[in-house]
Amino acid sequence: MSLACKAGCLHSKSPGSAQLPTRRSFFLAKGFRLKERAAPREARQTYLAAARRSSAHRTYCQSGGGTSVSAREQGVEQADAPPSESAAPPVLPQNGAVSAAVRDSWVGHLLDTWADINASPDTPELLQELHEECGAALQSARMPNTRVESFRFTDVSSIIKSQPQVPEAAEGAARGMLSSHMLREDHELRAVIVDGCLDQGLSNLSGLPDGVYIGSIRDAPEEVVAMRLGAQATTKGTPFTQVNGALAQDVVCIVLPPGAEVTQPLHLLHIASGREQSVSLNSPRLLIILGRDAHLQILEEFCPLDSNQRECYLTNATAEFELAEASSLQHGYVNLESIAAWHVKSTLVNQAARSHYALTEANLGGRISRHDVVISQMGPETETTMRNLQVCGERQVHDLHSSLRLDHPSGRAQQLHKCIVASSTGRGVFDGNVQVNQKAQQTDAAQLSRNLLLAAKGAVFARPNLQIIADDVSCTHGCTVSDLEEDQLFYFTTRGIGAEQARKILVYSFGKEITQGFRYPKLEARLEVAVNDLLSNAGAL
Amino acid sequence: MQLPARLQQVRVARTAQKRRLICQAGGKVMLEVSDLQAKVADTDKAILKGVNLTICEGESHAIMGQNGSGKSTLSRVLVGDPQYEVTGGSARFQGQDLFDLEPEERARLGLFLSFQSPIAIPGVSNIDFLRLAYNSRQKALGKPEVEPLQFYGHVMPKLDTLHIDPSWLDRSVNEGFSGGERKRNEVLQLAVLEADLAILDEIDSGLDIDALRDVATAVNGLKRGNTATLMVTHYKRLLNYIHPTHVHVMRAGQIILSGGIEVADVLENEGYEGITNLLKKEPALQTT
Repeated sequence: MSLACKAGCLHSKSPGSAQLPTRRSFFLAKGFRLKERAAPREARQTYLAAARRSSAHRTYCQSGGGTSVSAREQGVEQADAPPSESAAPPVLPQNGAVSAAVRDSWVGHLLDTWADINASPDTPELLQELHEECGAALQSARMPNTRVESFRFTDVSSIIKSQPQVPEAAEGAARGMLSSHMLREDHELRAVIVDGCLDQGLSNLSGLPDGVYIGSIRDAPEEVVAMRLGAQATTKGTPFTQVNGALAQDVVCIVLPPGAEVTQPLHLLHIASGREQSVSLNSPRLLIILGRDAHLQILEEFCPLDSNQRECYLTNATAEFELAEASSLQHGYVNLESIAAWHVKSTLVNQAARSHYALTEANLGGRISRHDVVISQMGPETETTMRNLQVCGERQVHDLHSSLRLDHPSGRAQQLHKCIVASSTGRGVFDGNVQVNQKAQQTDAAQLSRNLLLAAKGAVFARPNLQIIADDVSCTHGCTVSDLEEDQLFYFTTRGIGAEQARKILVYSFGKEITQGFRYPKLEARLEVAVNDLLSNAGAL
Repeated sequence: MQLPARLQQVRVARTAQKRRLICQAGGKVMLEVSDLQAKVADTDKAILKGVNLTICEGESHAIMGQNGSGKSTLSRVLVGDPQYEVTGGSARFQGQDLFDLEPEERARLGLFLSFQSPIAIPGVSNIDFLRLAYNSRQKALGKPEVEPLQFYGHVMPKLDTLHIDPSWLDRSVNEGFSGGERKRNEVLQLAVLEADLAILDEIDSGLDIDALRDVATAVNGLKRGNTATLMVTHYKRLLNYIHPTHVHVMRAGQIILSGGIEVADVLENEGYEGITNLLKKEPALQTT
């Protein structure tokens, strides 16, 4: 059940809202910060139970009374949005039980298709709650279209017209991939997630320090996870984040107690299986909770099970990170999905005082990839670093929306975004928002977007933007768009290096400024191959 | 009135034909430029207006001239800079028509230009760049390409000569380098590539005294019987380290006077006015 939906119900005195417990009403009256403060679990469960009982509640949402708040929260402008029924092919509900109440036909199809698997008695209680919460939020949501500002340049209609099915990866099918998907030559700490579910058999999570938990939600420390799971997604996510919450079949939970440090990098290998005739959808979900002064390095890698890259699937991932005081998280993220796939990801981060979050990402795979990074600095002297690379080949759209909010003094933020558009049909989108609010004095923020257009008619939409309210800050931002420099190419040729080879080296070196941040030789080699494939397929060399 | 007397002793070549005869007495002709004319491709502004120059194996030539006289343009046209368009004349290098070859083919044939302001290439390390360049030349010469480890063995002695710290090799090409460091890096590339004809465009600018000596020592150390050097410079100090066999003066896109080190002496003492006065008095000395 989303806050938005609840708020809508509350204010409108509907029959459904009359059943809300009074304690809940008190919190809701305080608005959307409720989730940030993490409502006591009992209250939440009581409320959810009440909502489950209330058939009137669902009917009310369907009638549209509770939509406006939720739509605004999720960046969907109702006024502009055309009826989704016209954008998506009509989907007749199979059993009518769930989808009958849902505004968006694509969401209706998903909720129906996943109804059986979600109702399985094996589903842990925490996950059931997440399903219900997000399922309820989705009742009134609409999936975005190009009239929604944040999706203006990324047309997701092909995703919303698809009719995804539950993935069916054969057990152990991913075993053969492991040796070719290592980070380093030697033993590594690894979690293998196949179609969104942690595969214990393929993972290697031994030798962790005392008190550290890395594993499925099924065995996770319940009291810690219950407070945080879904807490950020309700206020910061997109409709895709809610879809993830409603369909996720597992959550990889990582909990580090105060002072803990995992020295080895953790490799989170996400493997997605496609289906022969239809589209499959996997919903990987990750929750990381770092205690005070805890330190962790992770690398999320997304790749297809089928190396032929022909199968079509949608990966819709969500990650929520909670960083306590003075903790640090080095987050590597590599999208090497199949060229026929769609890849949507939300990364939501809360950073307490003096914590450090560093993101290094490379987006290469998928015909459409969309990454929403939403970071809040929630204490002074907090540091955030983002280094993003997008390589857009033939008919590829890579979209990065990053949003960083600074509300406390002496925060630091660094962002370097680089985009290579190698084909005339490729497109890169970057919207980088940094908000320096009144109390964020002595902020030091820098943002730079550099874009390389290698093909005529290739396009990049870059919008680095800073909103500064504090008056004692040092903030810079910039954006460049260019082809390769003729002078550099000429320099290579005067040393006997052919023009074609020179172009290749220069393009790769442009991206290398980001990829060298991964510091894993085997991964870098994989990326180099992937970049070269993309560029040569696009004819950019 | 000593100067004209001294200058009369200068070996003067009045035509390319005559220069060739002199060359044949010495080494084989390496570069032969006849009546070369070139313009800036974008603006159609003519820069070179009939340059004649012949360089033989074993020789060191220096070209001096005022700013804008076409010295740097000549060196860039020879290596094939697309900013310039050749409008007339010819240039042969190692018996091949230079203008039939792409810039990389000219380089593989043994032509090297040390740039006046070398450009930085972020993200490409010096060692990778050097090895790529070296291997393209090896390939052109029909020799086997070298492996990274083997290549270190080839580069290390060159670093010692130039007093360059080995940590340079892992840095990006010219990124964050000072002007002087960039020039040193150019000479390092020359040393590694072992080019036949090295064109050094103002290699002395931006160098301190010690660096100039290092660079000059390295260039002198690279001289062999079958190589040649063409220096473009404003000052005689470089010529005190690298002794030229020929000194040319360029004005308005042409070489107007050729001689020995004495020509540089005239320039050092009297400036370009001295050359003008001299040519007025001795019009026969003018080469074109």
